[in-house]
Amino acid sequence: MRRHWPYVALTAVLSVAAAAWAIPQLDDDHGTTHVWVRGDALLGVSLATHVDGLAAQVMLLAVGVGLLVQIYSTAYLGHHPRYRSYALIIVLFLIAMLTVVVADDFFVLLVGWEVMGLCSYLLIGHEWQTTEARSGAAKAFLMTRIADLGLLVGILVIGQTYGTYRISEVLAAGPKNSTAIALLLLIAVVGKSAQFPLHTWLPDAMPGPTPITALIHAATMVAAGVYLIARLLPIFEASELAMTLLAIIAAITMLLGALFALAQTDLKRALAWSTVSQLAFMFAALAAGDRDAATNHLLSHGAFKALLFLGCGCLMHAVGSSSLSAMGGLRRSMPVTFGAMTIGFAALAGVVPTAGFFSKDGVLEALHHAADGSGVLPDVLGEIVFYVALATSLVTAAYATRLWLVAFFGDAKEHDEAPQAMIGPVVALAAASLVLSIGQPFHFGIGLLSTIIAAAGIGMVVWAWRAQGNLDIDAPLLARELDLDAPYARWLPALVGSAARLVVAVDRDGVDVYPRSSATIAQFASRGLDLLQSRNVQRYATVIAAGVALLTAAAVIWT
Amino acid sequence: MIVTALIVPFVIGSLLMLFRGDVPGRLAALLGAAAMATSLVLFAMVWDGPNGVSGEVDTSWIEPLRAHFHIGVTALSWPFLLMTAFLGLLCCIWLVADDTSPAVVGLVLVISASSLGVFASLDLLLLFVFFELALIPMWFLIAWWGAPDDPDGRRRAATRFLLFTVSGSALVLVGIVIVAVQSKSLQIFEVTSGSVVAASLIALGFAVKTPLVPLHTWLPDAHSKAPTVGSVLLAGVFLKLGTYGLLFLDSFMLHDPFGKVAPYLAVAGVVGIVWSALACYAQDDLKRLIAYSSIGHMGFVVLAISTQSVVGVAAAVFGSVVHGLITGLLFFLSGSLKERFGTASMAAIGRGLYTRTPWLAVAFVFAAVASLGLPGLAGFWGELLSLRSAYEVGDVLTKSGAWTLLGFAVLGIALTTAYFVRAIRLIAQGEPVPRDEDRDLGGHEVVVSVALAASILVLGLAPGLIVGLYDHPTVTYHGSYSAVTP
Repeated sequence: MRRHWPYVALTAVLSVAAAAWAIPQLDDDHGTTHVWVRGDALLGVSLATHVDGLAAQVMLLAVGVGLLVQIYSTAYLGHHPRYRSYALIIVLFLIAMLTVVVADDFFVLLVGWEVMGLCSYLLIGHEWQTTEARSGAAKAFLMTRIADLGLLVGILVIGQTYGTYRISEVLAAGPKNSTAIALLLLIAVVGKSAQFPLHTWLPDAMPGPTPITALIHAATMVAAGVYLIARLLPIFEASELAMTLLAIIAAITMLLGALFALAQTDLKRALAWSTVSQLAFMFAALAAGDRDAATNHLLSHGAFKALLFLGCGCLMHAVGSSSLSAMGGLRRSMPVTFGAMTIGFAALAGVVPTAGFFSKDGVLEALHHAADGSGVLPDVLGEIVFYVALATSLVTAAYATRLWLVAFFGDAKEHDEAPQAMIGPVVALAAASLVLSIGQPFHFGIGLLSTIIAAAGIGMVVWAWRAQGNLDIDAPLLARELDLDAPYARWLPALVGSAARLVVAVDRDGVDVYPRSSATIAQFASRGLDLLQSRNVQRYATVIAAGVALLTAAAVIWT
Repeated sequence: MIVTALIVPFVIGSLLMLFRGDVPGRLAALLGAAAMATSLVLFAMVWDGPNGVSGEVDTSWIEPLRAHFHIGVTALSWPFLLMTAFLGLLCCIWLVADDTSPAVVGLVLVISASSLGVFASLDLLLLFVFFELALIPMWFLIAWWGAPDDPDGRRRAATRFLLFTVSGSALVLVGIVIVAVQSKSLQIFEVTSGSVVAASLIALGFAVKTPLVPLHTWLPDAHSKAPTVGSVLLAGVFLKLGTYGLLFLDSFMLHDPFGKVAPYLAVAGVVGIVWSALACYAQDDLKRLIAYSSIGHMGFVVLAISTQSVVGVAAAVFGSVVHGLITGLLFFLSGSLKERFGTASMAAIGRGLYTRTPWLAVAFVFAAVASLGLPGLAGFWGELLSLRSAYEVGDVLTKSGAWTLLGFAVLGIALTTAYFVRAIRLIAQGEPVPRDEDRDLGGHEVVVSVALAASILVLGLAPGLIVGLYDHPTVTYHGSYSAVTP
C-alpha cells in the first residue's frame, strides 16, 4: 500500500483544488473569466480561463471520477510493474481534461484536448506487450488525432474571422462564418466522441485497463466533445447545416451503438458500444438546441457508466476475463458489486428513480420539442430523431437487461468479492447515480412513454431468458459490427502502405536518376579526356603540333 | 564580442585537429564543450533587443571587391545562433568519452563555428565563405567517422552530400554575384533591388541544402551514414543554413523578386511534406526515417517562408529552431541505439524497449511525440504558425493556392502521426526479447536528453519566447499583416 499513496494523494490534492475552484461557480450562468498570462500580439495566445456552471459541473465530474479511479487502481493495478507511470499519466490526463474545461483560449483548449488524446493512447497501450493493446492504442490515437486536425484548422478560421482566439470574446461577438467553423469543429468532436463514421476506435480501445476505460473512455474524455459543442452552441445554432448533420450523426450512432451492444459476447465491449450510443443521445439533445438536457445526461452518464465499467473491472478481477461466457451466477458471491451494478444497469435502461431516467427524459423532451419546429432542426428531422431515440431506448433497456442477467444470474459460481479499495468507488458511484436525480426536471408524458418503453425492453429480454434459458444472439452481421471498421483497419493502411512503397521506389529509381546520370556523364567525359592523356609522347607531340597549327591559322585569319 | 564567440571555437577546433595525437579524447571533448559554452553565453549576452543589429562589427576586408568583415545579430538570426551554439555544446558533451578522437571534436567545433559565422554574417561574400567552410569538415566527419560497418557506403554518402551541396552553393554564388553587381554592394542591408534570376538561383541553391523535393536524395544517405554528432549537426544546423538562406537572402533581401519564385517553393515544400511522410512510413532504418521526417518539417518552414508574411517569418524561425532541438534529440537517441546494437534497423533492434531500456524508450517516445506536433510541445507551434501563415495567405500566394497547400500540409501531419506511431510500435512497444546489449541511458546521454527535452517543453509552453521577437519589429519584414490582438 505504501507505494501507492503518493499518487492517490497527488490526485486528491488536484481534485480538492479543482473542486474549490469549481464549487463557488456552480450556480453562475455567466461565468468568471480570468486572464493569467496575456499573449503577445502576433501569436495571440493568452492563458485565460472561464468557469461557469457548466464548466464547474464537468470539472467536478472529472476530478470525482478521477479520484475514485485512482483509488480503485491501487487495488486493481497496484502490483503491476508499471503502476507508477500509469498513475502519473492519470494525473496528467486530469490536468489536461481540466485544461479543456476551463480554457478560455482556443489554443489552450487544443493543448488540453490533444494531451488527453496522448494520455488515452499511452493508457490504452499500457499492456503494450499484447497485439490488441498496441493496435487499439495506435488506432485510437490516429483516428482522434486526424479528426483533431479539424479543430486545428477550425481555430485558424476562428482567429481569422473574429480576430481573437479567446472563446468568451468569440461568443460575445455573435456568430460569423458559422457553417465553416461549426463543420470543422464537428470533425474533431465526431472523432473524439467516437461518433459515426469515426466510431470504431472506442470499442477497440477496450484492451486498456478497465479503470482507464471508466475514466477516459466513458466519463470524461469522450464526453469532451459534448462539452465543446455545449460551450460553443451559439456558433453551431447559427448553422442549420451543422445542426442537421449533427442530428443525423447522432441518430445513426445511437441506434447502431445500441444494436452492436446487444449483440456482443464481451461485457466490456458491450459497455463500450453503449457509451457510443449514449454519447449520441447527448449530441441529439445538442442538435435540438437543449444544452442543459445534454449536459445533464453527460453528468449522469458519467456517473453510471463509470460505475458500470468499474463494476465490470470487479467482475474481471474475480473471473479473470471480460467475456460474458466466463461470468454468470455472480450475484450471491459478489453481492455488493451486484447491487451497485444493478443500479448502474437500471440507470442505463432508464428506470425510475435513477439519474439515467431523468436525464434521458430531458433528452427525449428536447427532441420532442425539436419536432415541433421550435429549434434549428427541420421538423421532419426532429421527428425522425425523436423516434430513433425511442427505438434506441427500447434496445438499450434490452441490452442492459441482457448483460445484467447473463453476468449475475444462472448457475451460481463461487468467486471472492472485490477488495475494499475497488468496492468503495463502485458504491460511491452507485450513490451518485441515485443522488444526481434529485432536483432534476421531469416531464410527465415523456416520462410515462419512456418508462413503458423501458419496461417493454426489459420484459422482452426477461421473457426470452425464461423461455430459452440463455440470451445468445445469433446475428453475425451485428457481431461483425456491419464491417464498418474495414476502411480503417484494412483499406487505409493498405493504401498508405502501397503509396509509401511507391514513394520509396520512385525516390530510388526516379528522382535519383539525375545525380546518377550526371555521374555517368562525368565518367564518359573523363574517358574522353583520358584519351588525351595516353602517356604516348608521339601522340602528345602530334596534338601539340596540331594545336600550334590551329592557333597560327586562327591568328592569321582573325588579325 | 561576436568575434570572440566565433574565434574561440574556431581556434580550439583547429588546435584539436592539429594536436589530435597529444590530447586525450575526454579532455578534448570537455575543451570543446567549454568553447561552445563560451560561444553560447556570448551570443546570448550580445543581444539588445529585436530592433536593429546587436553587437555589429564592420571592418573593411577585401577592398577591391568592397567585401566587408561585417557581422552582427538580428532578430532573424539570433534564435538560429543560440540553437547552433547549444547543439554544438551538446554534441561536445555527447563526445565526452575515452575513445573519442580529438579530431572529431575539432571538426564539430569548426562546423559549428562556420555555421555560426553564416548566421552572423551581414556581408554576402563573408556569408558565402562561412557557408563553404562548413561543408568540407562535414565530408571528413561522414567519410572517416561515419557508419563503422560500411566504409564504402559512408564514403559514397559523404561525396554525394558534398557534390550536391557544392552544386547548390555554386548557384548561390552566381546569384550573389548578380545581386552584388546590380546593387553595387555586398552588404545585405544595402541591397535594394535584385532580379528574379538572382532570386531563383539563390532559392535553388538553398533548396538543395534545405532540402526540397526533388533535390533531397543526398539527405537520407548522408544522415544514415554519418556518426551521431554528424547527423545531429546535419539535421540541426546544416538544414537551417538552407532555410535561413531562403529567409534572409531571398525573402528578406530580395523581397520583391522572391515573390515570383515563392509559389513554386511553396508547392515543392508541401509536396515534400507528403512525400517524405510516405517515405518514412516504409523505412526500417531509424536514422533514415528521421532524415526523411526532416524533409517534411523543412517543408512546413519553406511553406511559411513562401507566404512572405510576418507570421510566416515567425513560423519559419520557430519551425527551424525547434526542428533542430527535436530532430537533434531523435538523432542523439538513435545514435545511442546504433552504438548499442550496431545498427539503426528497427527490425534488428527488436521490440519492447520500454522494459529493455526504459528511459531511452521514454525519451524516444517523447521526441517522437514532439516531432509529430503534439500541442504543448515545441513542434506544434512551428507547424501551427506555418499553417496559419498559409491560411492567412500572405502577400504572394493566391487564396485558392494557399488553401490547397494547407490541405496537403494537414494531410502530411496525419501521415506524420502514422509513421511515428508505427515506429513507437515497432521498437518501444511489443513483447520484449532482452539482449546483452540492452543498456539504459548513461551519464552524458542523460545530460543531453534532459537538456533537449527541457528546451522542447519550455518552447512548447512558452512559444512567445521566439514568436515575440517578431511582434513589433522596426526592422521591417515587409508584408501587410493585421495582428490578432489578445
